[in-house]
Amino acid sequence: MVRKIIIPLLSVLGLTAAIYTVRASNKTVTPQPPIAPPAVAPFERYVAGAGLVEASTENIAVGTLVPGVVTELYVRIGDRVKKGDALFKIDARDLDAELLVARASLESAVKQLERLRQAPRAEDVPPVEARMRAAEALRSNRQREFDRLSSLGTTVSRDEMDRALWTLRQAEAEAEAARAELDRVKAGTWQPDLDVAIAVVAGAQAQLDAVQVELDRRTVRSKIDGVVMQVKIREGEYASTGPLQQPLMLLGETETLHVRVDIDENDAWRVKDGAAARAFVRGNSELDAALTFVRIEPYIIPKRSLTGESSERVDTRVLQVIYAFRAADFEKAHGAKVYAGQQMDVFVESR
Amino acid sequence: MNLVALKMLVGDRMKYFALIAGVAFASLLITQQASIFTGYALRTGAWIRETGYADLWVMDEQVEHTVDIKRMGDMTLSRVRGVEGVAWASPMYYGFLNVVLPDGSRQNFRIIGIDDATLSGAPPKMVEGQYSDLRRDRAVIMNHAANVMLDRFPAEARRYLRVGDRVSVNDNEVEIVGSYSAGPEFFWEPIFYTTYSRAIFMSPTERKNLQYILVKLREGEDARMVADRINALGGVRAMTGREFENQTMWWILVQTGILVNFGITIALGFVIGMLVAGQTFYTFILDNLRNFGALKAMGVGNGRIVMMMATQVVVVALLGYGIGVGLASLTGAAFSGVGLAFQMPWQIPAGGLVAVGGVCMVAGILSMMKVMRLEPGVVFR
Repeated sequence: MVRKIIIPLLSVLGLTAAIYTVRASNKTVTPQPPIAPPAVAPFERYVAGAGLVEASTENIAVGTLVPGVVTELYVRIGDRVKKGDALFKIDARDLDAELLVARASLESAVKQLERLRQAPRAEDVPPVEARMRAAEALRSNRQREFDRLSSLGTTVSRDEMDRALWTLRQAEAEAEAARAELDRVKAGTWQPDLDVAIAVVAGAQAQLDAVQVELDRRTVRSKIDGVVMQVKIREGEYASTGPLQQPLMLLGETETLHVRVDIDENDAWRVKDGAAARAFVRGNSELDAALTFVRIEPYIIPKRSLTGESSERVDTRVLQVIYAFRAADFEKAHGAKVYAGQQMDVFVESR
Repeated sequence: MNLVALKMLVGDRMKYFALIAGVAFASLLITQQASIFTGYALRTGAWIRETGYADLWVMDEQVEHTVDIKRMGDMTLSRVRGVEGVAWASPMYYGFLNVVLPDGSRQNFRIIGIDDATLSGAPPKMVEGQYSDLRRDRAVIMNHAANVMLDRFPAEARRYLRVGDRVSVNDNEVEIVGSYSAGPEFFWEPIFYTTYSRAIFMSPTERKNLQYILVKLREGEDARMVADRINALGGVRAMTGREFENQTMWWILVQTGILVNFGITIALGFVIGMLVAGQTFYTFILDNLRNFGALKAMGVGNGRIVMMMATQVVVVALLGYGIGVGLASLTGAAFSGVGLAFQMPWQIPAGGLVAVGGVCMVAGILSMMKVMRLEPGVVFR
């Protein structure tokens, strides 16, 4: 009996195994859906672009005119600054010293001028007056001598007469010189000398001002009202001038954020002025923001890759369209923040 | 009377077994070879099938198969996103990079970079860790069944690459933060999944980085129409996952010669199987010729004899076939652990049944003609 059914039994077992294998082969693996739902365009026809959030003032990379070691930092990341607020200061001890020198020379020039203005010194006059009186007395004496000899007539020798006359003339000249000397002393400083002294004072003042300006340049100030977004310089570090790969400090106004949208040049024609647009936060497409049109940058540029690599990879050329939204409104609507520098998926309505 | 036919069949036990064995062997040959071929062919597209939670795959128009690295510019992604009917599109990096393993051995890995934000295009199932671990710094995930042996370690420290290992991808250190499971596939280089931007960071500087774009259609859109619109962008081609699978499969089957080589083997197996089945059966009938002659002499009509023979054909074909496909399934199950590509869709056993049944039928008909022409007197000779 067993012998009779062994073959049919094997056959049935075989068929069962085959059916099982077929069913196992049919089993397909379900692909994994995206972990975070991707953003879906909210428009019927649209152009998609990669958006980069930036401050509405654009991100201002603060630079310094004078290179040097930073001695003081007046702001921290996140601080609000007003136009003209000091941000940081470059070492200025050399200028502090120069300032002292300039101040001293100004003072000396001023004093010099003061002295000239005060002339004549009161004590200088009496001796000159005395000398004049002495010369006058001598002249009177000689005059009388000459007169006396003249009245004697021919009894006086011609030689004696002449000597008296010339002695008188000498005394007269000396008296005149003494009077002139008195006048000079009484007149005080000569005007051109005063002018020179005034000019010296002005020069010293200008010197001082120049040092002040130089000193002021060592303090870097904000040119806008905004927020300190990044500080890459610390006290004691050397700040170089010129455009830097890593800016010393980033400032920007972030109450209104701008989104810089890269649109492929081949799609550039599809974007109209004032086109509606919507931006989605990467990683959570439920966080979206309606954008207001700001402008289309009228120059198409090579796209910069956002991989964070230092070597840029130029891919294609892109049209940049700028949109804006208010950060506070976004936060109120979603309870989440968007930051400058963040990437967003942007859809721009098109024709 | 059919009972007599069956008795006749099983009467000579040895002949009966030989007959069944012949048919079973034929079925085994036909179905097993075809299943292995199918398994191979399906493996070529396994990655596409398991990865593509997408309605369309967009790639450079010259891409021939999955690992044919011809990349597109990054902005193509934005352009595809802007095509009417596209709900979303996400980028995928695919490339080969040299990896230095913890034991110092070097190996080429396939690096697949999936969209940072959505992680769309992720492998089907995680075993260790979770998908969001990919967002960790320098994270990659590997196939749980990759079995990458670290054999440059001293014998006692030898082990497989595992989660937590740190390896160097193109001189960038990365950490394996998880493992996923996926079916076996045709291509042999092990895979690391990571995020798109990290994959680009690790790869040598190239102008173009985008190998695939996974596209999901809007509700109610026709894949063909959207694909045409994407193709109109120029330089790119959009395909459904199935189309891409088929293209990859045919390219590999033809270019590697698998189709010809395997095809000949299958054809030979098929022919041999048929010959064996046909010949065994034919011999069986000839051996029983005397018995049929006796029946005829007893006055049994030709119609009845045909019925008897048909019964024999069907029984032998069914029994042998069942054992044959059973054995084929068993080889599949037994060797799948060591990498046998064995896939048996219903078409294969069905085709096998038709082929074996057909052969038996032909052999049966040939022998029937003989029986019908038989003189009853032959018994007495």
